[in-house]
Amino acid sequence: MRKKLELSFIVVLMFLVVVGCSSNNNNVTPVQSDNAGTVATSKPEESPAEPVKVELNVFMSYPQYKEQFEAYFDQFIAKELAEKNIAVTINTEMPNSDQAKQILQTRLASNDAPDLFTIHANDIPTYYNAGYLSDLADQPSINSLYEPIKKTVTFDGKVVVLPLESSTWGYLYNKKMFKELGLTPPNTLDEMKVVIEKLNTANIPPFQLAFQESWVPQLMTAQSLGGVVSSKHPDWITKMNAGEASYKDVEAIFDIIDLINANGTSKPFEVGNEAGAADFANGKSAMWVQGPWNADAILKVNADFEIGVAALPVSNDPKDTMINLSTSTSLALSSASKNKEVALDLLNYILDEKDSSVLFEQLKFNPISTVHQFKVNPWVEESSAYVAKGQAYQDLTLPNGVTDEQAKLLQSYYAKSVTKEEFISTMDKTWATAVKAAAK
Amino acid sequence: MNKLENASDIQLGRRVGSVLIFLFLLLGAVVMLFPIYMGLLNSVKTQSEMLTNILSFPKELQWGNYPSAFKKIHFFRSLGNTIQIAGVGLIGIIVCASLAGYKLSRTKGKLSASLFALFILSMLIPFHSIMITLVKITKQLSIQGSIYGLGMLYIGLGVSMAIFLYHGFVKSIPRDLDEAAIIDGCSEFKLFYAVIFPLLLPVTATIAILNLLWIWNDFLLPLLMLTNSDHYTLLLSTNMLFGEYSNDWSNILASLILAMLPVVIFYLFLQKYILNGIAEGAIKG
Amino acid sequence: MTSKTKWKPTLILLAFVFPALLFYSIFVLAPSFGGVWYSLTDWNGLNPDYDMVGLGNYVEALTEDRFFLDSIWFTLKYVVFMVVLSNFFAILLAVFIESQKRSKVWFRTIFFMPNMLSLIIGGFMWMFIFTKVLPFIAEHTIFKFLDQSWIGDPKLSFYALLILSLWSGVGYLMVIYIAALQGVPQQLKEAAAIDGANSWQTFRNITMPMIYPALTIGLFVTLNSSFKVFEAVFALTGGGPGRATQVIALNIYEEAFSQSSRYGYASAKAMILFLIVFMITIVQLWIMKKREVEA
Repeated sequence: MRKKLELSFIVVLMFLVVVGCSSNNNNVTPVQSDNAGTVATSKPEESPAEPVKVELNVFMSYPQYKEQFEAYFDQFIAKELAEKNIAVTINTEMPNSDQAKQILQTRLASNDAPDLFTIHANDIPTYYNAGYLSDLADQPSINSLYEPIKKTVTFDGKVVVLPLESSTWGYLYNKKMFKELGLTPPNTLDEMKVVIEKLNTANIPPFQLAFQESWVPQLMTAQSLGGVVSSKHPDWITKMNAGEASYKDVEAIFDIIDLINANGTSKPFEVGNEAGAADFANGKSAMWVQGPWNADAILKVNADFEIGVAALPVSNDPKDTMINLSTSTSLALSSASKNKEVALDLLNYILDEKDSSVLFEQLKFNPISTVHQFKVNPWVEESSAYVAKGQAYQDLTLPNGVTDEQAKLLQSYYAKSVTKEEFISTMDKTWATAVKAAAK
Repeated sequence: MNKLENASDIQLGRRVGSVLIFLFLLLGAVVMLFPIYMGLLNSVKTQSEMLTNILSFPKELQWGNYPSAFKKIHFFRSLGNTIQIAGVGLIGIIVCASLAGYKLSRTKGKLSASLFALFILSMLIPFHSIMITLVKITKQLSIQGSIYGLGMLYIGLGVSMAIFLYHGFVKSIPRDLDEAAIIDGCSEFKLFYAVIFPLLLPVTATIAILNLLWIWNDFLLPLLMLTNSDHYTLLLSTNMLFGEYSNDWSNILASLILAMLPVVIFYLFLQKYILNGIAEGAIKG
Repeated sequence: MTSKTKWKPTLILLAFVFPALLFYSIFVLAPSFGGVWYSLTDWNGLNPDYDMVGLGNYVEALTEDRFFLDSIWFTLKYVVFMVVLSNFFAILLAVFIESQKRSKVWFRTIFFMPNMLSLIIGGFMWMFIFTKVLPFIAEHTIFKFLDQSWIGDPKLSFYALLILSLWSGVGYLMVIYIAALQGVPQQLKEAAAIDGANSWQTFRNITMPMIYPALTIGLFVTLNSSFKVFEAVFALTGGGPGRATQVIALNIYEEAFSQSSRYGYASAKAMILFLIVFMITIVQLWIMKKREVEA
């Protein structure tokens, strides 16, 4: 018995060694070094002899783009060494998106802020009021931004973050499938119902439902609330902030949401975002309330997929059907950074004249600045057409915590453990609490 | 005649019962091993093979998933990190707790009783109550992000239970031993490490094993403490993989199996000590 | 007796206790006080400024916070099921395994193994089983009922959670019960058999009373750990769908780190959790002490 165990132990050990050795060349990347979270302080100097050493901590919630960013940072390091004789080491932290917020907040609250970190543009007020952001005015990268995009990251008159992902989006649809069935993107709810019927007759679930990750169903409210408010209730947010309105005023958002929920794929809670992308790419559904940021995931599964982007109808007035213009993930410079100059160099390098286009193309991000000279993806052209016609609105800025609560409630709403009325009353309460908490 | 029939009836009943029990246990064992078996089985299939038939044995063993899983969770590096953290924690816990538990057990009086109660109280505190403040303190002490800092955290968190176990065990060591050693000219400290500590070996082994398992499998604290993913424990690296490849099950399963491997090996080798330790730890406590 | 001799034992005690006390104070006591302090504020975990709100957080949590109260009920339901089922199965398995002659060690090893694995890993593996394996089995065999949305359906996710927790935890209790059973003298059982008692009677009247201390421990351990359950839920359902499986610890975690990041408020809720667990422990100890005296 003992002999058998010993033998199996040796076998397993050998197995581990063989497997480990056949892939042992990446445990240490040249960029990262072991550190105890401390940041070296040294001003970059002109010294032809010994390069000045600077360490930067960069926190980004993009684990899926880890390789691309690390390669890009390598380029930056080479450039900084050549031009300024500074040897930079960059420690990148890329946690899962569902843990990123919590880790970042713990860091910031315990005075351990990374030099550069990503936040969602909607959270700008919260982080700004807490004093964690810096004014980025007059940075070359900021100056090169397109005006409408610059506006989305301006708060209190200052530009406080560098946008990274800026999108025009509504919902995605399978262009080939639509062509085959003779469908065109609907402009009203009634037209949408017709499209849904045709798809149901063809035995294709009209909508992809992937509710395992709560941010996905939340996109429905981002679209429906955005559409309803921007068209018929333009001062709703101001009124909500003053406690003079309620979600009941915008109850119409449920019209499209109910339609989507009732005509979607099955078992949505077992489908995460990536699984949803795979299903959508494989033609398991025709439409998906998602954004072009999923393009990469979709094309990875099916490179021949033709992505279409259309505006989501929220009522029977075609004028209400608009494209959402939003900046999501943005890069911030910590106000407490001890290496502001070098960190700013890196920040500006993100929109470097020469190299930025390649990066943004790789990540399939939209062009956001004049330095971007790459050909945009076809779906971007499609959504930009709406913008050109004036059929667009800026993504709504909701108080901190409201989107998270909407996300959770939508999951419960689909599971029928929360009614429409409960949704409305809970959201009203959450909004009020959020406003109170932010009033510091 | 009747009595004999009765006896053989009972014998038959016993036999049938015994077989039924065995089958029940067998079924239970299958359920216990089922997830692990499924994980292992599907980790050596290609993604498409897995989608066609989950239960089947793969046509070809796709070991290819393993080297890539190895790389993705930085196996050796994560393993090393975990071992270092556990090492610091274990040594610290054993040294501090044995010293404290011994003396608290030997000394009577209010001070001793109050200190003991103070240590025990913490076993009830839910981790969430102290989470952020804990991280904040580590930042102020400049040990946040450090592997050794995390190890020290575990010392603080783990001494209570260890003191409790040492405290109880020491009672079984006769006081005469202490007195004899002192008469022979031992200092208090020498008495401890030369005479007492060796006798504490059984409970030390139990404590070592229980705490090793706890530290090894801990998730939330390392997640908050370790800023640099280079310092991630095996568990953390595996979890991070989920964010990157949430749909690539054959890859994920391979990394889950890899992450399980050290613990399973450890268990299979030391199971006798582990099981005894747990039983004793619970009964004495 | 000089004053030196009087103080010496105390000094020595303090010297021995010092290392442990140091680490403990810094990493457990200080944060605990911090936790209490923050529970009386409205700190949002991010902004360096905050106000004191006294017991306001506690009042809100217990009167207005529907989701918190829901999570308490849900956790309670979970606790009751866990305490009963895990101890039941553990005793059952312990008795069965002890009755086996040759395969005893094998079964013990196998049943305990899941306990060795982190619930994060176990959770992911069971997620694989629930979302991929069971539907497959349902499609290709007669067990059609297996094709449910185990994780997605709020009514079923509770049972998925139970299955995961039982799978992981039963082995631990079983080991304790096996040890206790081994302490029951064989002669007593044989004597009872000779007196005509069948297995069930022997078990009920001889064995059970003798493993009583182990039962108390088993109940105590399950009660305590079930109230604080976190990792199992985190890995398997994340508290979802929506909040269908949100236990207290998860509610606190989300309050502190997502939603509006009301860390002060979350701390208050964590204190409430602590008080619940504390009260249960006190009751447990009191009952144990009483029984001990009687026995």
